Amino acid sequence: MTERKTTHFGYQQVPVEEKAGRVADVFHSVAARYDVMNDLMSGGIHRLWKRFTIELSAARPGQTILDIAGGTGDLTARFSRIVGPAGKVVLADINASMLKVGRDRLLDRGIAGNVETVQADAQYLPFPDNTFDCITIAFGLRNVTDKDLALRSMLRVLKPGGRLLVLEFSKPESKLLEKVYDQYSFRLLPFMGKLVANDAESYRYLAESIRMHPDQQTLKDMMGEAGFVDCEFHNMTGGIVALHKGIKP
Amino acid sequence: MTDPTFRAGFDATLETAINSALRYDPGTRARLDKLAGKVLAVALSAPKMNLFLVIEDERIEVHSRWGGEVTTELQGSAIAFLQLLKNRDATPAKLGVTVRGSSAFLAELQSILRDLDIDWEEPLSKLVGDSPAHQIGLGVRAAAGWLKDALGKAPGAAAEAVSEEWQVTPPQAQFEAFAEDVSELVQGVDRLEARIAHLRQRLNQRGTD
Repeated sequence: MTERKTTHFGYQQVPVEEKAGRVADVFHSVAARYDVMNDLMSGGIHRLWKRFTIELSAARPGQTILDIAGGTGDLTARFSRIVGPAGKVVLADINASMLKVGRDRLLDRGIAGNVETVQADAQYLPFPDNTFDCITIAFGLRNVTDKDLALRSMLRVLKPGGRLLVLEFSKPESKLLEKVYDQYSFRLLPFMGKLVANDAESYRYLAESIRMHPDQQTLKDMMGEAGFVDCEFHNMTGGIVALHKGIKP
Repeated sequence: MTDPTFRAGFDATLETAINSALRYDPGTRARLDKLAGKVLAVALSAPKMNLFLVIEDERIEVHSRWGGEVTTELQGSAIAFLQLLKNRDATPAKLGVTVRGSSAFLAELQSILRDLDIDWEEPLSKLVGDSPAHQIGLGVRAAAGWLKDALGKAPGAAAEAVSEEWQVTPPQAQFEAFAEDVSELVQGVDRLEARIAHLRQRLNQRGTD
């Protein structure tokens, strides 16, 4: 009898083919309150992390940008204004509920014309080779089952010279901060999830998935192995979050 | 390297302050619209920092990096830069600020930022809510009262010595101008207070209806 291949889902080990479905359930559950919870969980700082991501994207009018795991459309909204009518932004998410919330929010804010929404799996991006000037994936990579496959898929659809930006929770630089952060993540976060979204389990998963995500150096090495060059990362808020950048040669 | 979160926070705060003021000043917004696409790069020497003000439609965006074309580039200290924005008679040459690129764009932007007529009531209450805005207003009013008293009581000769000889306090004219600004702010707070009273009255009326 052959053993089934497993992967992590938070701190649990689950069969590889089950992870995507389980992650999908989490995000179906939190989609409606995702923005409120993001603000609550980070004290609004996630907006600054995203702001720095936009700065590093060096996006310009006329460019084509892919916002993977774009969720409720924060980055897409900003990119849409930068690339202007001559450019295009594709908001992609594997989760239909998140995509629906994102699309509705963008339309409510009058952001349309240069934005497309696509339900897509980061591991198998449904776009031709060399399509995008820039790809961002904010707080999404840790939920992807096979991160190497996803990085290679992103490399394929980027234009030569194009840049990938991965914004993701990471490993705090100081031990003290790590302890405080652990208390916050495993005690306060599920409690807030229960209070605001009536869903403690999903938020417990979010905290666990952050701990299982590769640290700064490991992710940088993974990007290099996938074929990106000039890879670098910037720690933010003491390393709680890191922004990785890589260029397609 | 400083944590980018702090820098992003600074940029966001500055951007919000400028655009909150613009939001209530349609005349200035229209002037700004004519400058759309232009970029002012500011290289501050003290503190060392690069800043890019990008004019986009009817708003100003603040960036820490900019890879595109720059219309005008300024180099100088933060104090000189602030003087340039606040003081009507200030010129880059007088303040030791180096200018590269279009000086016409700089003059227009300088005039726009100087002329910004900030309506404190709306943005303040939008940011912190009506009640905290009222509390802040009370604090400002108390400070303004103290300033008026201080101005009235200050013995002329001593004030002149402190101001002119030792230069540890601003000259009287500058102080009075500041007090005038505070007084304007007080009037704004009075209007805010009246508005709150009006809203409260309407709420009470609705309650009794």
